[in-house]
Amino acid sequence: MLAAARDVQVPLLAAVLITGCAAKTSYLIGARTAGARTGPTASFPLGSRRPAAAALCAIEFALGAGLLVTATYAWASPAALVVRVAVMLLFGTGAAALWVLRARRPDAGCGCFGEFSSTPVGWRVILRAVLLSVAALPLIDAPQLHMPASTAQAWLTLGVIVGEIAVIMALSPEITQLMLRLSHADPCEVREVPIARTQSALYASATWRRYRRFLVTTDAADIWREGCWRFLVYPGVLSSRSVQVVFAVHLTGRGAPVRVGVLDSGISLARGPATAL
Amino acid sequence: MAWRWLQSHTGKVRHIGDSGTPDWYARRALLRAAVFGQDHEVWTRQPAFASSVTIGVLSAVREDSIVLDTDRGTEFFALSPTTETWLGARTSPSALRPGDPAIIRHRTPYTDLPERRLAERIWARIGRVAGTIVEAYGSEFLVDAHGRERQYVVVPPAASRQIQVRFPRLAPGYLIDVIGTRQRDHLLAVTPATAQPPYHAGHLPAPPMVNGHVAMPVSGSAVWHEPDAEPPGLLGLGYPAIDPEESGTQPVSGTGCVRLPYLSLGTAVRIRNECSGRAAMLPVTSEGVTARQFCDRCVKCGTSPKGRVADLTIAAFVELGGSLEDGCFNATLTTRTG
Repeated sequence: MLAAARDVQVPLLAAVLITGCAAKTSYLIGARTAGARTGPTASFPLGSRRPAAAALCAIEFALGAGLLVTATYAWASPAALVVRVAVMLLFGTGAAALWVLRARRPDAGCGCFGEFSSTPVGWRVILRAVLLSVAALPLIDAPQLHMPASTAQAWLTLGVIVGEIAVIMALSPEITQLMLRLSHADPCEVREVPIARTQSALYASATWRRYRRFLVTTDAADIWREGCWRFLVYPGVLSSRSVQVVFAVHLTGRGAPVRVGVLDSGISLARGPATAL
Repeated sequence: MAWRWLQSHTGKVRHIGDSGTPDWYARRALLRAAVFGQDHEVWTRQPAFASSVTIGVLSAVREDSIVLDTDRGTEFFALSPTTETWLGARTSPSALRPGDPAIIRHRTPYTDLPERRLAERIWARIGRVAGTIVEAYGSEFLVDAHGRERQYVVVPPAASRQIQVRFPRLAPGYLIDVIGTRQRDHLLAVTPATAQPPYHAGHLPAPPMVNGHVAMPVSGSAVWHEPDAEPPGLLGLGYPAIDPEESGTQPVSGTGCVRLPYLSLGTAVRIRNECSGRAAMLPVTSEGVTARQFCDRCVKCGTSPKGRVADLTIAAFVELGGSLEDGCFNATLTTRTG
């Protein structure tokens, strides 16, 4: 069991390092901010935050790639030892830096995984960093990467991997952020809805079929939006009177409510006295 | 007053001759009421006018009065020892010169003499530039105000320290928002209107996620903008969340840091100045592109939530009790949506 746990640390920790670098890179490129909130670099002066974040990412990637390469081709070499010790130091230093960040900048996220790590640093994130640095200890005498020798060992290795990933996820507020983003749907009033889609919903409605025969043309005379409703106005004739038929389409997709109103074209505005603001 | 911001639709729309006018937008209130049967209280009358704000050009400055040329003709305003005058800084009315554009907030102290108006506040040659720095030449900057004509801003040595403290990165690609005095072809910056956002223009912070419906009213900061092509006395606001289907400007990345319901030009919204207590229904008269780029707070009376909810015309800002040199007031905005 312990041997299996030792054997999986190289690929697991390499995955954590490379994923972290990728997420940070994506955030830095997308944000292009002068003061990118990238974890411990939030404590740095404004002008040096981006270079510091870029350097951190480069170190993470180099160590993650280095772990995989040395564990595959040069597992007993001095270079492998250097990489593994550096990984231990990185995670240990990271845990200490997060502790300091929490005290100095309680509002800052750890930045460990880019924009998903915006939650203020708490005990979970610090514990995760500590556990990762502990997990890096067995790397010192980790053997060359190899496939499991038997089916039983394969299942044991898989179990260890799943268990360790579960622990990391349990200690990761980023998972909550990710699930929120995946499950979130904007309310209709802030959703971008093409006019063509609104017209399609209108034409498919029973209300349109009922009033279509009063319309002079299917070219809308006016279209405007108020939050969850889009209004479309068409000229029409009703009982020999010139009218405007206005359809209000709710912007929740096909089958959404469509309401209608009819207004005589001759009705003008109520011209009362001018009102002061 | 003619509003020239016609909508552009990807759908098939026939424009009737008077589209884009106040009457056109007022008729929408009638049409809406025909559907929902609600009282179309606003904008079925003649558009409101500013009762305590006059905008024009000074034609005469006397010891006890000033004369303003406006689009309604010549108007007279009495001065008093309590009249506050701004011309780059607080000054006395004697510093004013004929030919200076001026904005006057006034009141009528005598109900039996409504034509006798007393100037309370006078802002002469006040201007504001907010947008993205496009080019920088030492202390001179070319600013893209997004949808408006590009403006030159000059930061004089007397104001450079004050401005650079709030705007440390005066370089192309970063945002700027300064208030100053209008010169012939540039704005002479006097004071920063806010603090510089740390992010690059066009790469706004992710907007907050909204669950359920957008809760009303929405609180934030209300700012003001110069008329540019608008009629000087226009009452209205630039709204940061115009329906993207009818947005007439190049899309600016992001939706701003305040989630507001999408509306169309001409929609009426209620805006309240939390500092003065004054509120009004105002039409959306332009797209507040610049407003959605800033995620700042207003601290005139308490600290507002982040984000600009309205970019008011000068007349509307002053009418609601704002002071132009402050740049903002804490505001709440309510829309009739849902």
